[in-house]
Amino acid sequence: MKKIVVPGELVSSERKKLGGNVYVANGKVYSKVLGITEEEGDIASVVALEGKYMPTVGDVVIGVVNRVVFAGFGINLNSFSDCFIPKSGMREELKQGDVIMGKIEYVNEMREADLEFPRKVFGGEIIQVTAVRTPRLIGKNGSMLDLLKRGTGCELIIGKNGRIWARGGNIELLKKVVKFIDKNSYKSNLTSSIEGLFGIEANSPAPQMQQERVAPNANAKGFAKKAQAPVAEATKATEEFETIEIEGADEASNQSQKDDSEDAA
Amino acid sequence: MSGKQREDCPDYKKDKKRVDGRKMDQLRPLSIKVGVLPNADGSAYLEWGQNKVYAAVHGPREALPKHTASPYKAVVKVQYRMATFSVPQRKQPRPNRRDMEISKVLAEALERVIFTEQFPNTEIAVFVEVVDSNAGSRVACLTAAACALADAGLPMKDLISATGCGKGFNEIILDLNKEEEDAPDAVDIPLAILPNSNEIALLQMDGLITKEEFNRAIQMGIKGCKDIYEIQKKALAEKFELTELTPAIAKAEVKGEKASATDAAKPSKTEKKEVKAKKVKK
Amino acid sequence: MRSTVLEHDIAQVVEMVRQGKRLDGRGFEEMRAFTVEVNKYLNAEGSARVVLGETEVVAGLKMEVGKPYPDNPDAGAISVGAEMLALAHSEYESGAPSFDEIEVARVVDRGIREGKALDFEKFCIKSGEAVWIAYLDFYAINSDGNLFDAGSIACLATLMNGKKPKIDANNKIIDNEFEGKLELKRLPLLTTFVKIAGKILVDPTYLEEKAAETRFSVATTEDGLMSAMQKGMNGSFTLDEVNYMIDVAFKVGKETRKQIQKL
Repeated sequence: MKKIVVPGELVSSERKKLGGNVYVANGKVYSKVLGITEEEGDIASVVALEGKYMPTVGDVVIGVVNRVVFAGFGINLNSFSDCFIPKSGMREELKQGDVIMGKIEYVNEMREADLEFPRKVFGGEIIQVTAVRTPRLIGKNGSMLDLLKRGTGCELIIGKNGRIWARGGNIELLKKVVKFIDKNSYKSNLTSSIEGLFGIEANSPAPQMQQERVAPNANAKGFAKKAQAPVAEATKATEEFETIEIEGADEASNQSQKDDSEDAA
Repeated sequence: MSGKQREDCPDYKKDKKRVDGRKMDQLRPLSIKVGVLPNADGSAYLEWGQNKVYAAVHGPREALPKHTASPYKAVVKVQYRMATFSVPQRKQPRPNRRDMEISKVLAEALERVIFTEQFPNTEIAVFVEVVDSNAGSRVACLTAAACALADAGLPMKDLISATGCGKGFNEIILDLNKEEEDAPDAVDIPLAILPNSNEIALLQMDGLITKEEFNRAIQMGIKGCKDIYEIQKKALAEKFELTELTPAIAKAEVKGEKASATDAAKPSKTEKKEVKAKKVKK
Repeated sequence: MRSTVLEHDIAQVVEMVRQGKRLDGRGFEEMRAFTVEVNKYLNAEGSARVVLGETEVVAGLKMEVGKPYPDNPDAGAISVGAEMLALAHSEYESGAPSFDEIEVARVVDRGIREGKALDFEKFCIKSGEAVWIAYLDFYAINSDGNLFDAGSIACLATLMNGKKPKIDANNKIIDNEFEGKLELKRLPLLTTFVKIAGKILVDPTYLEEKAAETRFSVATTEDGLMSAMQKGMNGSFTLDEVNYMIDVAFKVGKETRKQIQKL
């Protein structure tokens, strides 16, 4: 059962493997943040619903030049502090407001990030979303990203720091869909809803027919672990509670959640 | 024993009811709405009795001036202010000493729960503005600020729930209103706790009171805070409805239309067919 | 939560204006929809909460008894203050009043004062000794641009619903007793424009203000007069442009006034 928790609320009174955004006190596990937790399952963790970007090594991020000084450039990463790139670190000359893209190479104790191979991004548009919900836009193994690309025809880069760069294709539609996903990131059936919206399958194996038909309870406060949507024809019938695979370390524990795509019946 | 009673004052021990009809341990009506200010990282609007306060969180962000930053943790700054028209006698726009003192104790209460070590070198700036008041504005602001911090996604050990308690008109009471605060024997005790452990994070008092009376008041206060905690939780959860999505809802929302009730129950057979038949864009 | 304003976003605004469009789909002479709630804040003798697009402003009136100026012994006064609260935008700082805050307060004040909205003679309690002074303060709670017009609407709505307190024999205010509403002689309202890429737009959003070269505000009254003007920012206007904006301001002001009067 999915449950919304606030900071300090009990996540699990049993001993479990620890996921992200939780802390232990008196042998029990509590939430650190406002988020969603899965009551069953063998990992006690909370998916944060709000928050700025926490720099993590290996993440691809999209930054905006905030400050130009003699020695280099101050880059806004939608995080707690700006990142600095020395002049020697950029091939191009940057001016204030330019958009750059790079991979985080190193993060120090002050959460300041260094970027590897930063390069300027030309043209296109930037869409901003809630940073902590970005993994949902990427999906497991990039499945949602792939779906977005195919559904809108846009060239897309999703920065883990809550910024999307898009060029070409139907950008108006992309903006609306992204806004929808950002707003509904924690709900069930998100992937299949987006698939249905575009009329495409996320993972392409032949779609299955599902005979059983159960009307979901529209007023349900939580989720049944396997929500069964009534299906007229060839779309996936059942969907596990979707969680997201996030790589990268959280201070004490590994933040690992699984994004289970729909079960073929 | 505390101060003498005037003859024309209410006597709660005799009346068994308060001037506004409440029971001795009853809170004034309280409502909270979270995420109300689009420009803030987290925000809340709270109404408690006649009190009306806004709380906004900006941060964690670069601490400025730089010398206020700490290499070990985030610095929590609270600014408590009252609008000139929020009190019976117009308040001067410039902050006064009371504003500074309240800002300090609020910041210290919030620091107790925020995991500040996770954000070294930054500041977490909390702004609370009182636009209407009637006793208890500081605990209203603290309660709202805790919601705003959670709304901003900040990691905390617990929320902070706050209320006033104390004594007035010859009885121990919860959540004093202005008339009770002005009673000759009034004792006002602003109290804030971590609701899951009952740890006290804010405690002030003014008035004349015995230790026994104080403890009775605090017990009432702690219970009151627990009730306030439930309201805070509900307000935070209200931002998110755990409903199920369907392609029909997605389509309607993306188009900018309201999804009908039937979309939520089950997508119609024909809709699904239509959606499937749409050409795959390349 | 809004991040830094990107040059990119500003460039997009400018490009759209060149094509005759605005980000939110409005026409160049179209104001955003707004709501007004009056007398919500009970300690004030009049108050209003205005939400114009995403700009939210609260205003409140406190009436005080004061001494008149010696050269005007029968006249009361009004004083308008404004604060762009740090709540309203991450770029707003708290501290001593900024140039912008003072400008907004003074322009709104001029619109009301010079528009003779209030009959200051009616504020006289005892000639030469005691007069009413109306303190009108408005606060930006969330800023998405155009605090001028939002503030002006909030202040006018406040005054239109304001009350005069009752006073005792010693000219002291009696709590919670009133002797009637404030009477307004005129209803001045500010309308603000910006110039972007040579085109003029009414009621700018925060982003449009950032993209603009110049700004202009004019207060218009229901009887065809103007009571205040202010050109801001470091660009310029032609006289034709100023006259165009005046015409639009009368139209827009009229519509806005209708909506406030319905309250």
